[in-house]
Amino acid sequence: MLKSKTIIYAKIIGFALAAIAVVTAVIMIGNEVRKTDISIVTDKKIGMTPEVIQSIKAIGEWEFLTVTDEEMVDTARKGIFGHDYLAKIYYGTLRLGINMHKVEPGWITSQNDTVRIILPAIELLDNDFIDEASTRVFHETGRWTHTDRETMYNKAYAKMKANGLTKANIKNAENNAENQFRNMMKAMGFKHVEISFSK
Amino acid sequence: MKILNYIIIYIFITGTLIPIACSDKKDDGKSTHVSETDTLPMLIMQIQKCSRLYTTEYNIHKIITHDDVIRMQGKVLNKDFNIKLPVGDRKIAIPMTATLKAYIDFSDFSDKNVERDGKNITIILPDPQIVMTSSRINQKEIKEYVSITRSYFTDAEITEFEKQGKEAIIARINDTNIIETARDNAARVLIPMIEQMGYDEKNITIKFRKDIKKLNVNVEK
Repeated sequence: MLKSKTIIYAKIIGFALAAIAVVTAVIMIGNEVRKTDISIVTDKKIGMTPEVIQSIKAIGEWEFLTVTDEEMVDTARKGIFGHDYLAKIYYGTLRLGINMHKVEPGWITSQNDTVRIILPAIELLDNDFIDEASTRVFHETGRWTHTDRETMYNKAYAKMKANGLTKANIKNAENNAENQFRNMMKAMGFKHVEISFSK
Repeated sequence: MKILNYIIIYIFITGTLIPIACSDKKDDGKSTHVSETDTLPMLIMQIQKCSRLYTTEYNIHKIITHDDVIRMQGKVLNKDFNIKLPVGDRKIAIPMTATLKAYIDFSDFSDKNVERDGKNITIILPDPQIVMTSSRINQKEIKEYVSITRSYFTDAEITEFEKQGKEAIIARINDTNIIETARDNAARVLIPMIEQMGYDEKNITIKFRKDIKKLNVNVEK
């Protein structure tokens, strides 16, 4: 009788221990599963490549008017399954001023407190004025080729040039050049400053 | 019941036959350019007066590369893992040229910048500044390698890489001696100008305010 009771107790204790072990294992596995973190990732960073200085130039470009422009250019294409569309925003800065390498001999003459200056004509100082690396894609569907991108760039270029290189802006730059040179010459001690532009 | 049948027939006709009837008959299956519209207006134009003497121009070339690898990474049973998934390659190389120019800002030039002592004249100039005036992508030379299992690079992705390329060029500008060159070239432009005003070359001094070593180079984007 006593022996059978002992066996029953032993069985109960055995079951209890087994149950505790199972619960502990489940909790531990649960914790591990909760800590588990799996994700699919792609690296969006560019590779480390060198920057090569292609050329170094000594220039003498005096800028008097900055025209900052942004242009949205879009293109569309009709295909079998619908229309493809690409719209990009281009950013550019047109710099108007004088090229000091184009001054003619004797462009500055001075006599006592008077100085006479003949400045070269106002021009677009740099024909590369678009910051293509800052271009933003506004809307895109479909696949586009380098020819499409080149065409869009050229369209943005023409629009920016037409908007920035206007007679009004050239006149504005000319007025500012005159003011700036006048101030500079007065700072250098000349009382009378005469400024004109070569045609 | 008959009414329901009529409704179903009506929906079938309007839903399938009418779009077919309205489709472009000229479409021969080939993808063609039909229009390139200029419908969107100029966004913003800002005009600003200034007085900047650009003295130095650097043309910098960079090939921007990107290797798009898909990885599975994470932590299992307290162990970190990072595995490259065999789903195919996707690579791109973008040649880019950027123009950086250094300039002297004459906007605040006044008699405080000029010291005259008899036949001698000293011009004190502000620190040269650097600006990236343009960046150009050589679209024709862009090389792409995309596995059949992967999608092509979108324009949005390409422009993002170009932007990073630009940032990389700007970050490395301190390694060049553009500031020293800008100072030397400023003297080369200004000295002949002051000579024309009647000063002897030996009596002209062009001075800059700060010690170049302490100068922190900032690039306007």
